[in-house]
Amino acid sequence: MCFKNLPVEFDSQGNATLKPGAVDPYLYTETPLQTPIEDDPQKMRELLERNGHIRKVDFDPVTRVAGALAFHTVVDLDNREVLETASMATLFRGYEIILQGRDPRDAIFISSRACGVCGGVHATCSALAIEMAFDISPPPMGIVARNLLLSVEYLYDHPIHLSLLAAPDFSEPAMRDTNPEIWEKALTTRVKGRAVHGYEFMHEIMTDFTPLTGKLYLEGLHYTRVAREAYVLIGGKYPHPQTVVPGGVSTTIDTSDLNEIMLRVVQYMDYGRKVVALWNDVCDFFYETNPKYRDIGTRPKSMIEPGQWDDPYAYDGSFENADDWGRKRWAPPGVIVDGELATTSLQMLNAGVEEFVEHAFYEEWVGENGDAHANYAHPTDPAGNPLSPYHPWNKVTIPKPTGTNWKEKYSWATAPRWDRQTMETGAYGRLWAVAMQTDFTKDRFIEPTGHSLKVDLPKAELPNDLIEWHIPETWGAFERNRARAYCILYTSAIAYDNLLLAYDLLRKGGPDAKMSVPYKVPQDHRIGVGLWSAGRGYLTHHLEMDEGVIQNYQILTPSTWMASPKDPFGNPGPYEEAVLATPLLENYEKPEDFKGIDILRALRSFDPCMPCTTHIHTDDRTISREVVTCACGAEGDHEH
Amino acid sequence: MRILVGGVGYRYLRDGAVGVHVTDSLAGRATNGIEVEDLGYHPVGFTQNLQDRPPYDRIIFVGAIVRGREPGTVKAYRYDHVLPPTEEIQERVSESVTGVISLDNLLIVTEAFKAFPDDVWVVEIEPADEGWGEGFSPEIEAKLPEIEETVWNLTKP
Repeated sequence: MCFKNLPVEFDSQGNATLKPGAVDPYLYTETPLQTPIEDDPQKMRELLERNGHIRKVDFDPVTRVAGALAFHTVVDLDNREVLETASMATLFRGYEIILQGRDPRDAIFISSRACGVCGGVHATCSALAIEMAFDISPPPMGIVARNLLLSVEYLYDHPIHLSLLAAPDFSEPAMRDTNPEIWEKALTTRVKGRAVHGYEFMHEIMTDFTPLTGKLYLEGLHYTRVAREAYVLIGGKYPHPQTVVPGGVSTTIDTSDLNEIMLRVVQYMDYGRKVVALWNDVCDFFYETNPKYRDIGTRPKSMIEPGQWDDPYAYDGSFENADDWGRKRWAPPGVIVDGELATTSLQMLNAGVEEFVEHAFYEEWVGENGDAHANYAHPTDPAGNPLSPYHPWNKVTIPKPTGTNWKEKYSWATAPRWDRQTMETGAYGRLWAVAMQTDFTKDRFIEPTGHSLKVDLPKAELPNDLIEWHIPETWGAFERNRARAYCILYTSAIAYDNLLLAYDLLRKGGPDAKMSVPYKVPQDHRIGVGLWSAGRGYLTHHLEMDEGVIQNYQILTPSTWMASPKDPFGNPGPYEEAVLATPLLENYEKPEDFKGIDILRALRSFDPCMPCTTHIHTDDRTISREVVTCACGAEGDHEH
Repeated sequence: MRILVGGVGYRYLRDGAVGVHVTDSLAGRATNGIEVEDLGYHPVGFTQNLQDRPPYDRIIFVGAIVRGREPGTVKAYRYDHVLPPTEEIQERVSESVTGVISLDNLLIVTEAFKAFPDDVWVVEIEPADEGWGEGFSPEIEAKLPEIEETVWNLTKP
């Protein structure tokens, strides 16, 4: 029984059905949000009576052209705590509406344009949705080629995040600026990973984390290039590949291509070990310096991962068999609730998803007969499992732009929930879900133990080695970064495993070595879903088509889960929750010295796909506005 | 003479897509050392692509960017290679690798990593509408021929 909150129960054969008796089973009562502090004179008075330094800090997007993230906080600088948070997606991109009425195959190329980085996985997820709707699946080599594309894409993504986004917050300039006492300590602290990464003292690592000039920053930049080189050998170009098609990949592969990819993949086996050693040392150093660093960005251990990298002999594209082929993935699906594995069923993962719009700039959609809870398009999925009217297959995107109001609507992101609970998603969730699998099938180089994940790395420049990631006891920003470092090794092992399969398929030849299958665009009513996590986490594309064109297309991205606003039950989204729990450990004497580094570390640890401004400035591109700096300033706002 | 013409922006973002629309239109005229490319991807990747290719003698960028001017304003200028402070450069790199595509970011990131030739030109268009969807605002629609010719004229020696 994986659901605690949805009105679904299971019979003795494990079949899901609606609980009997409920007239309107998915009906819920909305919990009103508390009045924002700035609009609540009594709360403000109480805070001021403590003579606190209460400050509103808005992290606004720098540019206006992307689906950007802005983040609103109210912080109590005296007590070093965050009082209020709100996460805002500031732009509607409208891909769901643009895709209506088009040939379904257009979705591969149009959805790829949603992002300047993650286009490859959008294209692939779209191809999977189409395959389900068309009732086709690629030959084994087509699946292996897709696995290779999406493993090297993640080998591109993880170093980007760690080196270019996360590490600068731990670099020498950041440490000198925000916690000079920790920098002083770093000058004399020896680190444990010297044999692997070559650094003797912590300060040397911090110096080489320095943006634009640090050796580790530039090395991370270099490894984004190596992975992209591997990707384009099959994908043609990146991030908007031209070879991803329904039923496989529209190119050929020969031994030379595989050798070129292999030459690049093995580099990550050495680089990954270095990155793991670096982030182990960063975590150890900060935890030893102040155990409260474990609480930066902490939130419940609840995460959702559809998984990826299909078994070439198990994946058939069908929803009916999704539980079987899903569990045979190199990254099987998993929903983890408070640290426990709730389900590994792809069908239940899908059935548990709902999107709510109480605090988003959309209208709630209604059923065909005007009753969202009784008559809606898909009361069950193709396998007969109950679906909510708020499920993506039933969702209709109706934009409703209004003014921002923290108590009402404040974001262009919906609030996705699984079993009506807040979930985060990311590379670490993938690692965690695999570590807890009991029937993992891809064990040539990877071994889940229930409490850890072992990766048996072949020899590259460094000798072969058994690397083990342990499920952490406490969960927060540092552990997200550490796990992402281990994901470089886990992903390189998967790429290597698939390369060996590809060599074998090439050697054998025959129909299994073909790259794609022919198909016709069906003209009858069909639905499909692509369930394939991006490097940054959960990604699904839900498709409904009829007469050869798209009727409804719903994209649910990792950033929608994590940047989500509050849900109708009053629960914050993951960013909001994590920042609210973040202690302010930065060293500041005056409010104007506050940089917000711990908040930024918390936010960045999620690998946000939508950019959040990286620093607080007072120039004209960002906003740093103080509501109240002290009791004497209670009467008014001050613009800075 | 090797020349690259690059369209910058997102497709399906109304006037924000004008840069890639222009390069789509000009692609058929690419010849004699003039390459036309859709640069609707992140600037770090573009920088690395430039570093991998034989050097260009001139690069011309075209794209929409909000600067508070009259919508439809077309401005062509030679890039001055002046960089903002280091902190802002890192912001632009961060945005780039989280999926943002913008003309300013492209210029700053590529310059910061020293991938540009000396001769870089920019054709900026002030958008009227950067909402979702296809097609352009009337202000931009009316200027499309002018924008294309402005860009193409810059390819002349």
